[in-house]
Amino acid sequence: MNLEADSTSFLAQRPLAAISRANGDGASVKDGLVRVVLRPSLRTKLLAAFLVIEMLLVSVGVIGLLSLREAGQQTNQVVALQQKIEAYRQVQHDTLRQLYGVSAALALPNETTLAGALRQINQFGYDLDRVSFVAKDEVALLNQVREEYARFIAVVSHIVDLIRNGRAAEAKQSELAELGPLADKLERLTNQLVNRAEADMVAGIDASRQTYARSQILVGAVALAGFVLTLVLGHAISRSVIDPVRIIHNGLNRIAAGDFAQRIEVPNRDELGELAAHVNSACDELQQLYQSLEEASRHKSQFLANMSHELRTPLNAVLGFSELMLDGIYGDPPEKMRSAVERIQRNGRHLLGLINDVLDLSKIEAGQLRLSLADYSVEELVSGVYTSVESLAAEKSLGLRIAVPPGLPPARGDERRLAQALFNLVGNAIKFTDAGEVRIGVEAKGDSYKFSVQDTGPGIDEADQAKIFQEFQQLDNSITKTKGGAGLGLAIVKRIVEMHGGRIWIESRLGHGATFSFLVPARLEQQATRT
Amino acid sequence: MSKRVLVVEDQEDNRQILRDLLANVGYEMIEAKDGQEALIAARTQSPDLILMDIQLPILDGYEATRRIKAQSDLRHIPIIVVTSYALSGDEEKARAAGCDAYVAKPFSARKLLETINRYLT
Repeated sequence: MNLEADSTSFLAQRPLAAISRANGDGASVKDGLVRVVLRPSLRTKLLAAFLVIEMLLVSVGVIGLLSLREAGQQTNQVVALQQKIEAYRQVQHDTLRQLYGVSAALALPNETTLAGALRQINQFGYDLDRVSFVAKDEVALLNQVREEYARFIAVVSHIVDLIRNGRAAEAKQSELAELGPLADKLERLTNQLVNRAEADMVAGIDASRQTYARSQILVGAVALAGFVLTLVLGHAISRSVIDPVRIIHNGLNRIAAGDFAQRIEVPNRDELGELAAHVNSACDELQQLYQSLEEASRHKSQFLANMSHELRTPLNAVLGFSELMLDGIYGDPPEKMRSAVERIQRNGRHLLGLINDVLDLSKIEAGQLRLSLADYSVEELVSGVYTSVESLAAEKSLGLRIAVPPGLPPARGDERRLAQALFNLVGNAIKFTDAGEVRIGVEAKGDSYKFSVQDTGPGIDEADQAKIFQEFQQLDNSITKTKGGAGLGLAIVKRIVEMHGGRIWIESRLGHGATFSFLVPARLEQQATRT
Repeated sequence: MSKRVLVVEDQEDNRQILRDLLANVGYEMIEAKDGQEALIAARTQSPDLILMDIQLPILDGYEATRRIKAQSDLRHIPIIVVTSYALSGDEEKARAAGCDAYVAKPFSARKLLETINRYLT
């Protein structure tokens, strides 16, 4: 069936025509009935299905009523036949009694017996009338019976007259010669009627039995057909609803997963087809929105990269000249000037650190930072970090220890970024610890390496521990306020660890120092995707 | 005869820093403001070492490095690339372009001198 050719389609102007064509070939929709029910609206489909079922119920009822009526008619016929037979028997009985009456009058001729014989004639007349009433259809035989009856009555009347006139011998003669044969003939005729009625009755009972069997089969067949039709309709309609709902559901899942390029294609042209078309257009809008967001994000990253470069260029000059001044290239500076230039250096480096952190974080956020994976030595990584922070620790007279088990197999990852992560943690530990020591440790844990930095600083309240890995979050207490920093360091560490598919955590109690640890795969072959 | 260092750098302030630094240790400094000038200076001034900035007008530091290293008679000149920032990914690109060493900005004058001295002594 070609859906395209049908102009009665409910949503013919919808842009689903192409979809219907694609699926109309029967590739995805095997059941022809399902294909047919894809076109009308859901309301029409459900109404039609209920109407069909309703019609089946009504037709079962009508067939039942018709069968009942037929059975009733057949019963009436059988009753009528019984009445007929009874009437015929009555006539036969009357004939016999008439014969007895006449015989009695002959044997004992007095007024009583004669009157009895005549009365019998009247009774005979009534019963014959009754026969002609119940057996109107037996016209030919009844006419014969009437003729014979008329003759019989005439003979009886004649015999009675003869007896009254004392001519008993003639009467006897007439009885033997005429009345007997007439009675025989009447009996033959009525027997004939009885036989026919009985045959009719047997036929009637037979017919009634057949009617019963027929209506049983008919009602059963219609009920069965209704059952099958209901199943087929229910299946077709539910498939025409469930299949597209499932398709739309899967489509929405893909959209939720970020696949905006896909199209939801359902063969329906009903409300669900409309829904799918709406989802598609919403998806298009989402895609456009997503693209403009991506573009905005690219612009932001580009802006940040440009800005940080522009900021760094003059800053590098400031740092460069001040370093040359401190190195005595322009002559030995007086002590006061040296102190001032040292402040310029310190603040300049701090500013540069902040700019670099902002750039790092924005690059990571924009997904622009790719890990460059290579083999590295854990021992060298840690000692590199140690070298770059030992002067910081020495300035504050803090102990700085490293504990790396010897002979660790070579690891694979982005050494420079892992070093940056470890550097940030150690730098923080030194910054916040005023007395005691900072320990850097590495342990092999299965397929992973655990790096940890332990300090004897003020520690972090449990309630604050969740917050510290978020960007621009510094704990709001007097200690952190005096230490400065933008609060980007830990956020960057967390991102770097996550890009390695690892995790970071803190163990600390207020007043008992803190231990920051991160676990990264010993050998990372592929950068982890962001979750 | 003093060693000649070709400094390729577009920022005047940065050139001044290097002028002061190199003069202090007795190196002769020749200057180029972009990649194009660097190619010409490398051929005409026969420097003993090239200090190459990355972000340059006309021809960037990678491309200038690549072209110098492509010439057999210039290939021997050590090139130290000054990357703009350690995490920017410039380092890999600089290595790919064929540089001998790199330093990240902001460089410490002392460390830069150490690196230069490694190639000039």
